[in-house]
Amino acid sequence: RIMPVRWSRYNPSYLEPEVKKESYQKPLEELTEEEREQMELKAVRPIKAAPPTVSSSVFSDPMISKFTNMMMKSGNKVLARSLMCQTLEAIKRKQLEKYHKAPENEKETIECNPYVIFHQALKNCQPIIGLSNITKGGKTYQVPVPLTDNRKRFLAMKWLITECRENKHRRTMMPEKLSQELLLAFNNEGPVIKRKHVLHKMAEANRAYAHFRWW
Amino acid sequence: QLDHGCALHTAARGGLSSVSPQDVLAERPRAVFHTSESDPAKHTEQHEGRLYSIPLEEVKAVFPHGLPYRFQQQIQTFNEARLMVRRPALELLTYLKSSNLAHPAVRYVIYGERGTGKTMTLCHVVHYCSRQGWLVLHIPDAHLWVKNCKELLQSSYNKDRLDQPLQASVWLRNFKISNERFLQEIKTQKKYTWGKRESTEEGRPLGEVVEQGLARVRSASDAVGVVLREIKQQSHRGSFRLLVAVDGVNALWGRTTLRKEDKSPVSPEELTLVHNLRKMVRNDWSGGAIVTTLSQTGSLFKPSSAYTPHELLGKEGFDALDPFVPIPVANYSPKEFESCYGYYLERKWLQHEKAHTEDGKAELQFLSGSNPRQLDRLAGPL
Repeated sequence: RIMPVRWSRYNPSYLEPEVKKESYQKPLEELTEEEREQMELKAVRPIKAAPPTVSSSVFSDPMISKFTNMMMKSGNKVLARSLMCQTLEAIKRKQLEKYHKAPENEKETIECNPYVIFHQALKNCQPIIGLSNITKGGKTYQVPVPLTDNRKRFLAMKWLITECRENKHRRTMMPEKLSQELLLAFNNEGPVIKRKHVLHKMAEANRAYAHFRWW
Repeated sequence: QLDHGCALHTAARGGLSSVSPQDVLAERPRAVFHTSESDPAKHTEQHEGRLYSIPLEEVKAVFPHGLPYRFQQQIQTFNEARLMVRRPALELLTYLKSSNLAHPAVRYVIYGERGTGKTMTLCHVVHYCSRQGWLVLHIPDAHLWVKNCKELLQSSYNKDRLDQPLQASVWLRNFKISNERFLQEIKTQKKYTWGKRESTEEGRPLGEVVEQGLARVRSASDAVGVVLREIKQQSHRGSFRLLVAVDGVNALWGRTTLRKEDKSPVSPEELTLVHNLRKMVRNDWSGGAIVTTLSQTGSLFKPSSAYTPHELLGKEGFDALDPFVPIPVANYSPKEFESCYGYYLERKWLQHEKAHTEDGKAELQFLSGSNPRQLDRLAGPL
């Protein structure tokens, strides 16, 4: 019987697997010293099993996988992935229709690639500074605090998803809502960008408590 | 004598003449997988694997119903309707061109695995026939008549049968759009009484029967039955040629998911629409052809791996359709895959940077298995 384990229990000598095809197609002469040492180490040490979320497909994107995982409910990855695909297709259709109807000089400004729109929208939604609750002398203060990259990405994705789930009409489908939100965020408009600005303003207002932070 | 030269409607004819000169110039760089021949009558083996376009006005006139939903979305996004010319369709077109209309109608059954292009082959044939001026009786999906019916009325004509007013009125509306000029030219041969005060005299144009069916929704199924009967009786005279195109013909002989008010299951014979359609698909009339498609996707109580005629039609259906010409439809050949991939690239449908590379193309071919539907679904998010 296989017992599920939350944290990985591999021996520290196990190395991460390298999934991308390009790294194996480089001829020996082009590798630097470190890469040659790394290859020799891999020949000797055991390697961990690749997780099912990582794929060697040229079309896989770690950000999209992370976003799909966050959209997933009760482990239904099939549904989450199909919703993500439908969202990307919806963005592409809307942009292509706009592209074909636009006059010649405006055609270069319209971005049709859904991946570029997705990444740019996420980047636009990421806050620069966050707030954290610090209790001092019995009172809790909201203190402005720098955020790590992971935390910024997580907050951007979380805001997008909650915005779509809660503040829209009950009967609209998720791909439709999400594509609309992503296009608005790509153009720096929309409720998610507004939420980011509100957070920035709160942080600016609570500037006086910044010295409460000790890390 | 009805005029069936080449055109359908004057509106569509205006769109046809604009095909040749600009297209020859614009299509020289992309000549590999496109063809400027938009008349299906002139498609030959040298056009195999290439895509031809149907002018949008013609699409609205010929296909008010019948195109798959994803294809309709594609037409709207790309602003053009492009259909691939494939071998099964070319085979069917040669059979139709060389068929003797004095003989009883030949039945063709298009079969194949899921997503290989049976419905699109049927649409190609329907386009050819409407270009040639045939009367096209196109039932987009027979499965819609045996499931999910909200209203079932007891038929006034025959106590045992059940009517479906909604489905019948939708079909009559679309039939009217696609075959307007025939409705004025075909006359009824018998007097039909629709109720206490409404009746259609002998010798009135068929358009009146259709109007009656649309106006009085309760008698829409009977109107459909009358239309089918009149058309079948008059087709042998030779004044028009008839094409009966049914998609999902295995619905006519399977089971239904409908129930009567006392919760007993309804069998397909008890539905007027299905009963009349079965009479249409029998080969006891001459002056046309019957082209049908088997479909597992909408079918009821059939396993998903079933695709051959015997499995999907069952014994009853196979015996009813028995002397038929089977036409198998397979996945894309390498040349067809290349042309479909090139079309998507040219229309900017494949936006991912890696999709333009050789690796991306090989991966798409592997993941889809050259199946047209899978390729379309994979290329969607990319």
